[in-house]
Amino acid sequence: MIFEMLGPVHRWIWSDAERRARKLLRFGETETDGGRDLVRASEMTPDSLLRRLYLEHAIDEHRHGVMFRRRGNEILRALTPGSNSSFQAEWLAPSGHGVDDLHVDEEPDEALLAFLHLSEKTAADRFSVYRDVLQNDMPTRAIFEEILRDEVFHMNYTLMQLARVSPRRHARTLWYERLRRIWKSYLRMAAALGALIGGFLLTIQYFVVLPPFAWLAKRAERRELPGWTPISPQRNRPLQRQY
Amino acid sequence: MKILGISAHYHDSAAALVIDGVPVCAVQEERLSRRKGDSSFPLSAMTWCLDHAGLEPDALDAVVFYERPMLKFERILTCALRAFPHSWRAFPKAMQNSLGEKVWVRGIISSHLGVPGNKILFTEHHQSHAAAAFLTAPTRRAAILTTDGVGEWATLAVGHGERRPDGTTAITLLREIRFPHSLGMLYSTFTAYLGFAVNEDEYKVMGLAGYGRPTMVDQVQRLIRRTPDGAFTLDLDYFEFQTTTERSYSERFVELFGPARNSYEPIDLETAEGRRFADCAASVQRVLEDTLVGMARTLRQETGETDLCLGGGVALNGVANARILAESGFERIFVPPAPGDAGCALGAALYADRIHFRNPDREVPDHPFWGPLADGVALARLAREDGHPFEELDDSILIEQTADDLAANRVVGWMEGALEMGPRALGHRSILAAPHAVAMRDRLNRDIKFREEFRPFAPVVPIEWADRYFELPPGGARLARFMSGVFPVRPEWRQRLAAVTHVDGTARLQALSRDMAPRLYMLLQAYGQRTGIPVLLNTSFNLAGEPIVNRVVEGYTTFRRSGIDVLVAGQTRLTKRVSPRAKATEEVTCSRSVE
Repeated sequence: MIFEMLGPVHRWIWSDAERRARKLLRFGETETDGGRDLVRASEMTPDSLLRRLYLEHAIDEHRHGVMFRRRGNEILRALTPGSNSSFQAEWLAPSGHGVDDLHVDEEPDEALLAFLHLSEKTAADRFSVYRDVLQNDMPTRAIFEEILRDEVFHMNYTLMQLARVSPRRHARTLWYERLRRIWKSYLRMAAALGALIGGFLLTIQYFVVLPPFAWLAKRAERRELPGWTPISPQRNRPLQRQY
Repeated sequence: MKILGISAHYHDSAAALVIDGVPVCAVQEERLSRRKGDSSFPLSAMTWCLDHAGLEPDALDAVVFYERPMLKFERILTCALRAFPHSWRAFPKAMQNSLGEKVWVRGIISSHLGVPGNKILFTEHHQSHAAAAFLTAPTRRAAILTTDGVGEWATLAVGHGERRPDGTTAITLLREIRFPHSLGMLYSTFTAYLGFAVNEDEYKVMGLAGYGRPTMVDQVQRLIRRTPDGAFTLDLDYFEFQTTTERSYSERFVELFGPARNSYEPIDLETAEGRRFADCAASVQRVLEDTLVGMARTLRQETGETDLCLGGGVALNGVANARILAESGFERIFVPPAPGDAGCALGAALYADRIHFRNPDREVPDHPFWGPLADGVALARLAREDGHPFEELDDSILIEQTADDLAANRVVGWMEGALEMGPRALGHRSILAAPHAVAMRDRLNRDIKFREEFRPFAPVVPIEWADRYFELPPGGARLARFMSGVFPVRPEWRQRLAAVTHVDGTARLQALSRDMAPRLYMLLQAYGQRTGIPVLLNTSFNLAGEPIVNRVVEGYTTFRRSGIDVLVAGQTRLTKRVSPRAKATEEVTCSRSVE
């Protein structure tokens, strides 16, 4: 809903040709990576029907990746040299599957199907917004149109198969997956925040604690002779040592 | 004695098991996790090795990690200090990266396997490379040269190895060149500059070099200078890999060579810009070769050895290897099938066995097939479930049928036996095709491998026939055993081997001996009987961005997603007929139409 309300922002983001090209190229990578995950899913599942469907889905994702990359390169080639949009607005206009992550090896089929269904739904919502704001670029709009058709198939088959493999609990599985996505988003944000705080503290230490050691290290470096360093026989330290 | 070797945390992690001095199995983590270049702790690879040998972890006598983590951490910290204050952005990342997991290797291994800390050993990175190169080579004594991006401190080391008559073994590294002065980093910097993935796409630079002329050698030589003692130093003003994690080359580098390539833009060799990139690749390739040849020549004179063992990721550069063979004075060069970090798992285990525990020397089987087996029965089951036509045939009929397929220009996915260790498909997980027409090369690049058009394909030929089609110098067949050398295709055959002849008239061939892969050898013979040329195009069984397939189901999904016509695994032959989409759609009662 909020995403759809940001229509004018998306119109602005997609209006710049160079930014549009970069986005499409990145979308291409995301779709290709998603396709690889689905291939893995098809290799892991014991269910032969799911194997076929995952594989079909993977082939679609691969095709989407090719379409995005081809179009992105077409736009880039048509640009005048020197044009450069430094602001890519990555968070405002994420690719179809956004920042979802998938650990195929660890998921049972029902969890995977629920995850895929919700991911595809998110992707379809986003792509329909992107399609709507691309009125001035019909070839790119046509790509989103085509991909949206596939997304509908993907949403449908994941939902139907979820009902097949988990007839009594599929609604509960979907809700559980929705909650898990929120929890995972929280974990991602917490990890990012932790890394930010850690980085900040280490940067402070870098400037406060390290200068004298840096001076010593630089002095030692100046004494090093260029070229070969002989290895003395004593260098063969006991293998128990990590140092 | 049972020793597990492990390499991890930089790129291409792996595990290898040595029992009573002989390798039993080895596998790269990426082949099990299906993440290309997987550098994570190789839990799956370790587990597979132990399961394969039927061992519990407490039966292990030692677990050997392929480098010394604290020494590596010292290098990272020291480099950050030396670059102060320019390293302020890289420092937090480097510390978080190292302190998060990489320096606690003993504890990690101990907690995963439950082995006591005193059973966990550490070799030095280049000792592991040297051991992987020398202890797997069929030679009694040899000079050793290892070179890569960086290990702990060393980036290049030279020495010699000896199997003594009393059964003991010695590996002595004499001297080393230390970080940041690194041939591997020099090449990787150009890899990044040319818009390819560092630590992964260096071979693309080598392929691209064939299209260029070394017109920028003088510029490259400003980056790397020889020292009076025969080593080299990098002019660090042109690099940033030692100070940042964002970019490996500096603005001065860009001033010297021009704007870097955007990785998204295809290289168009018809344009001046495309040719500049190709010339750049050719120039750094030439400088790399000259430097290695000079060092190898000195090592030959110094040690008096006639054999040379090459290790480290740079030893994957087949063009440089061939020049070393031709120009350094060494008579034979041995490059293991996995000279990079993955092979260090095996090297570390063998080093501990021979040098640390002083166990007597044992002959190491001279092949790369140490991984999981391909199961043809599993392919038959998949085909049956998915309604694909398949046959289970006797070996002789299967070989003849496959030769017919290849002669009819069908592309064959070929899986048999144990998976290869290392980046090359050497006959057990290969895509095979007729090597004669350029159209086949283009088809493979476009419809099957989905990769750049400038990338060459390699031929495989029975060793007895190699000299007929390729100009092999003395010792060349050995280098070609594991596809480690690039040699000229004889001019009279270039047109008939167009799909495997690179633009410069060379090929990175595999000279196959019958004992290494008997079924592929028979297939080559059968193909030769049909076409008069017992040569096949042999490329790794994977798609762009994916690791080589391991299990049959992975071969099957690759077959289904690409333009491969026939899949052979064990005794099973599978072909494409039914439209997969039709089959899937039949069974699912949902519509693709937009609501």
